[in-house]
Amino acid sequence: MSFSEIFLGILEGLDVTLTVTAFGLLFAIPFALVAGVAQQFLTGWKRAPVTAIIEFWRSTPILVLMFMFYYTLPVAGVYLNATTVAAMTLGLHIGAYGSQSVRAALQALDRGQVEAGLAIGLTRWQVLLTIELPQMAVAMLPTFVNQFIQLVKGTALVALITMTDMTARAKELSQLTFDPPAIYGALMLAYFLLLYPATVLGRHLERVVGRRSGRLNGGRAGDV
Amino acid sequence: MTFDIDFLQRILATIFKAMPLTLLLAFLSCIGASLVGFALETLRRTGRWQGYLLRFVIDALRSTPILVQIYFLYFVLPYYGVVLPGPVIGVLAMSLYYASYLAEVFKAGIDSVPRGQTEAAMAVGLSPLDVTLRVVAPQMLRNIAAPMGNYFVSILKSTPYLAVIGVAEMMGTTLEIASDTFRYAEPMILLGIVFLVLCSIIAWLVRRLEARLMANTRR
Amino acid sequence: MDQTAISINKLNKWYGDFHVLKDIDLQVATGEQVVICGPSGSGKSTLIRCVNRLEAYQDGHIEVMGQEETNLPRLRRQVGMVFQQFNLFPHLTVLRNCTLAMTRALRMDQAEAEETALRMLERVRIREQALKFPTQLSGGQQQRVAIARALCMSPKAMLFDEPTSALDPEMIKEVLDVMADLAQDGMTMICVTHEMGFARQVADRIVFMDAGQVVEVAPPDSFFANPQNLRTRTFLEQIL
Ligand SMILES: Nc1ncnc2c1ncn2[C@@H]1O[C@H](COP(=O)(O)OP(=O)(O)OP(=O)(O)O)[C@@H](O)[C@H]1O
Ligand SMILES: [Mg+2]
Repeated sequence: MSFSEIFLGILEGLDVTLTVTAFGLLFAIPFALVAGVAQQFLTGWKRAPVTAIIEFWRSTPILVLMFMFYYTLPVAGVYLNATTVAAMTLGLHIGAYGSQSVRAALQALDRGQVEAGLAIGLTRWQVLLTIELPQMAVAMLPTFVNQFIQLVKGTALVALITMTDMTARAKELSQLTFDPPAIYGALMLAYFLLLYPATVLGRHLERVVGRRSGRLNGGRAGDV
Repeated sequence: MTFDIDFLQRILATIFKAMPLTLLLAFLSCIGASLVGFALETLRRTGRWQGYLLRFVIDALRSTPILVQIYFLYFVLPYYGVVLPGPVIGVLAMSLYYASYLAEVFKAGIDSVPRGQTEAAMAVGLSPLDVTLRVVAPQMLRNIAAPMGNYFVSILKSTPYLAVIGVAEMMGTTLEIASDTFRYAEPMILLGIVFLVLCSIIAWLVRRLEARLMANTRR
Repeated sequence: MDQTAISINKLNKWYGDFHVLKDIDLQVATGEQVVICGPSGSGKSTLIRCVNRLEAYQDGHIEVMGQEETNLPRLRRQVGMVFQQFNLFPHLTVLRNCTLAMTRALRMDQAEAEETALRMLERVRIREQALKFPTQLSGGQQQRVAIARALCMSPKAMLFDEPTSALDPEMIKEVLDVMADLAQDGMTMICVTHEMGFARQVADRIVFMDAGQVVEVAPPDSFFANPQNLRTRTFLEQIL
């Protein structure tokens, strides 16, 4: 097999990679917003369960989470297809990291903005939705791009729960032809082409928006 | 799922037996990633072309999944006659991958030390290496302790990937029990709890260290 | 006394298109004290930072003790520098601030370095603070430590960039006194300052710079009593 044949063979897994990414976003974005806002605004004991949920999704390795839900849900009588399990675990894992950025962004906002909003007669909710979140959106843009990259990279794990994404295609191809440099080189190239533009964009946005504080990005790493 | 205390104990025993190796791999990777990351960032600053080249290397490392990088090293190196044991490949892969993130942390850290510090250090005639190691590095450490700690936790959380290349860390050994017994639920839940506890402990240690560094700051 | 310590010849420097230093010529004899003054942005800092090559220059030559040293750490050990913002190392004690370069760059052993450092701290009258950290000291004390730190390298000349500008008024004198002592002891000095009392008392010559050029060079008496250039006069009227 020539390198381009191998590369095209790997791209056959692109649709799975993209599908899991798209569904993952559907979990990640709402979870990050809701959990981050809740953790910021709840006080006392009401806050503890939110923190616990965030910590569970954030501090457990994503591969463990994925296996855990993939194998445990059927035992509990819940049957979800692999795509859903993958999208959910990846999405909530990345979303938990995102929630910390949401919270940090809320904290970084100028207090005066809230007060001005309340002073013109808006409710606290209205202030959050019409004043704080829109302003945060800009500040969070770099973080969003970086989390998105983490999510896409995370989809490589679905190969381990029987789905045929690009990474799984590489394994299949190595059954057909013994050429590790070409196969894994092509796999690296595929992810690189997919994500390098986003990496450069994220860096650019970081420069433009300006790093509010080192801590804001403290939780950016993830483990994928 | 029936509650089977013997089975749970067996799983826990297996996990704990693999814990030292897991922690060791994570620890070595933390050191490797810090060294490589610091080198990347320091070299990146030495000139325009080094700057472009190393920026590209860093971004490329970040643009591919660590799992794929592990596979790459594991399958491609032997093809060229370089046969390394799984744990070594694992430490190598994690060091390289996380170096690309730590380089960024060091960048922020170096930038956080006022320019005058470097100038004063150069003005008393210190070599560039001493300027970096004796004056800049100690001062940036307290600024970067928290983000560095976060990445160290991430490194620990990445050790399960090494199971795919047959390293007997906690995930690998747990999977072994699971496939022997065809029961995955309990092992995975227990493994999750163990990681949760470990990561929380490390995160707590990092916060304490950071607090101590801050307290020592006389700025 | 006649040997030239620092010799600046036809020095030109640009920041991009901006011509900061224009054909600067200045010779400083061994043991001489030169004060540089001039309006903000005239290039004073840039000029003295070129001497120890914290700034690169595009054209011209600067010789220190008769040669143009290309090994920068070695050059910088010959020329001490004191900054406006002190720039002490906050993570090190006063003593270690002083010994760092001696042990690292000169490979002196610790005991010898400490002895030298304490002697220099004595000279700037702050020996008793040796074990404190910089931020536990007042601005004036910090600046004197910075002077001691530079002296520890036994420099052939010292550069001062507005050493008292960041200080509260009551601390200015203690720093100027130390500098006057140094001058008394025959240290070669180039000092950017607007302390005209100090200039009058200590300087052998005063250099007036404006817009990147050396406009006038004269001994203090004639500089203040009889400035030749219109720009010098305007400047002196403003600050005196
Ligand atoms: N890194 C730089 N890039 C571009 N321009 C610079 C840079 N550093 C200084 N300049 C410009 O060079 C000119 C001279 O600066 P310099 O700091 O030498 O002035 P100065 O005489 O020391 O003024 P001051 O009394 O304010 O300290 C100024 O106009 C300044 O804006
Ligand atoms: Mg200046």
